[in-house]
Amino acid sequence: MKHVIIAIIFIFSGATGLMAQGFDKALGTAQAAYNGGKLQEAHYALLQAMQEIDITIGKEVLKLLPPKMEDRQVKTAEDNVSSNAGFIGATIHRTYGDTSRQAELNIISNSPMIAMLNTMLNTPMLGGMMSDANNKNVKVQGYKGRLTASDLSDGKKKYEIQIPLGSALLTFSVGDCTEAQMLAMANTLPMQQIAKLIQ
Amino acid sequence: MKKLFIFTVLLGIIWYSPAAYGQGIMKKLKDKVNQAVDKTLNNEVQKQTGVSSGNEPANGAGKPVNKGGAGLTNTEPPDVKAQMIEAQSAHKAAQYSDARYALSQALMGVEIQLGKEILLSLPKNAAGMPADTLQDKVMSTQWGWSNLSIQRVYKNNADKQMTMVIGNTGIYSGLAQLYFANAGMVEAAGEQQNYKQVKVKGNKGIIQFDENKGYSLIIGLGQSSGIIWECINFATEKEVMDAANSFDIDGIKELLGEQ
Repeated sequence: MKHVIIAIIFIFSGATGLMAQGFDKALGTAQAAYNGGKLQEAHYALLQAMQEIDITIGKEVLKLLPPKMEDRQVKTAEDNVSSNAGFIGATIHRTYGDTSRQAELNIISNSPMIAMLNTMLNTPMLGGMMSDANNKNVKVQGYKGRLTASDLSDGKKKYEIQIPLGSALLTFSVGDCTEAQMLAMANTLPMQQIAKLIQ
Repeated sequence: MKKLFIFTVLLGIIWYSPAAYGQGIMKKLKDKVNQAVDKTLNNEVQKQTGVSSGNEPANGAGKPVNKGGAGLTNTEPPDVKAQMIEAQSAHKAAQYSDARYALSQALMGVEIQLGKEILLSLPKNAAGMPADTLQDKVMSTQWGWSNLSIQRVYKNNADKQMTMVIGNTGIYSGLAQLYFANAGMVEAAGEQQNYKQVKVKGNKGIIQFDENKGYSLIIGLGQSSGIIWECINFATEKEVMDAANSFDIDGIKELLGEQ
């Protein structure tokens, strides 16, 4: 067991080192290109450095997340951070538990959904009109969000909450739970720390 | 009241005159009459009530109307070298959010410089019109939808104008690709064709005509860039194509780093 832990630590530190190297290398290339007056090359290298840092930030966010959601254990093998500088930024993905009862967290920076969601959350009349038995506005640790319920095939409910964090969109969904359980699980997410990191 | 009477009589005479069916003249006359009526009525109301008729700009609850101000001063684009050093030190200190912000500032600085270089490379005249350099714009935002947009306007005094927007974001290129992928959208089979696929110096594009907007031409450049020309009061499609073909498209591509 001891060897396994050492191996994990070694692999993790190695990966972190590689990421830092990637960032330093990209930034070094950008600096050299800029000093040489090659603006387009500097631009490309800066975008690469941005991708590296987005991935680093995504991994830092994953470290902040709780190891389980009620009895749903984290599935670290499904953790994913990807970066797509420009149109849509980084995406951070984590899952907990088995398929039918799965809890899933996705954070997308520069999400195209943000403007529409903010309008709904901050326009009382619109928010009211769009609310029904399956849709309503809620707050999680002071952050406004939109809660949506949908039916699963076996008569159980799935809840999804969308919370804008600046230009990023946090989406958290849980299958086979009640609304109260859903909100309790959402409240275990360290919202403030996540917001600080990704903004 | 005398002015109003004269204008009304004049309008009546011209209305029945067969020689004066020109819509432009009629419109100008109607506008004059309306202005005269409005002015007369406002003066009368103000004289009798001492209160403005409400046709003046609203300045709710005694709020003063702004009459001057020097505007904002131009700020230098971000110092790219300083921002890159800042990104490096923030990254070393594990302040990743700060490092990202510094990087985005550096990117913005580079993009603005790129944009200025591209503007400098554009001709001083196009389609027989001089560049209105006061309307030159370079916009860069690393946070929103578009990364870099460069605008140049060519215009003359006869209501003719060509606005050229060069962008290095996928939106421009994607928009053109969307049209290429949808043949029904591009090749209208009707009597009048409003969309058409064209090529500008070997680059695929779409030209569109709208009676109210004039001609619009969009071409994709490489993987993620594009150019849009909006041509107002151009006589023919050929005139638009000739104008677009007069630009050094390969030079722009090279500056944008496109293949």
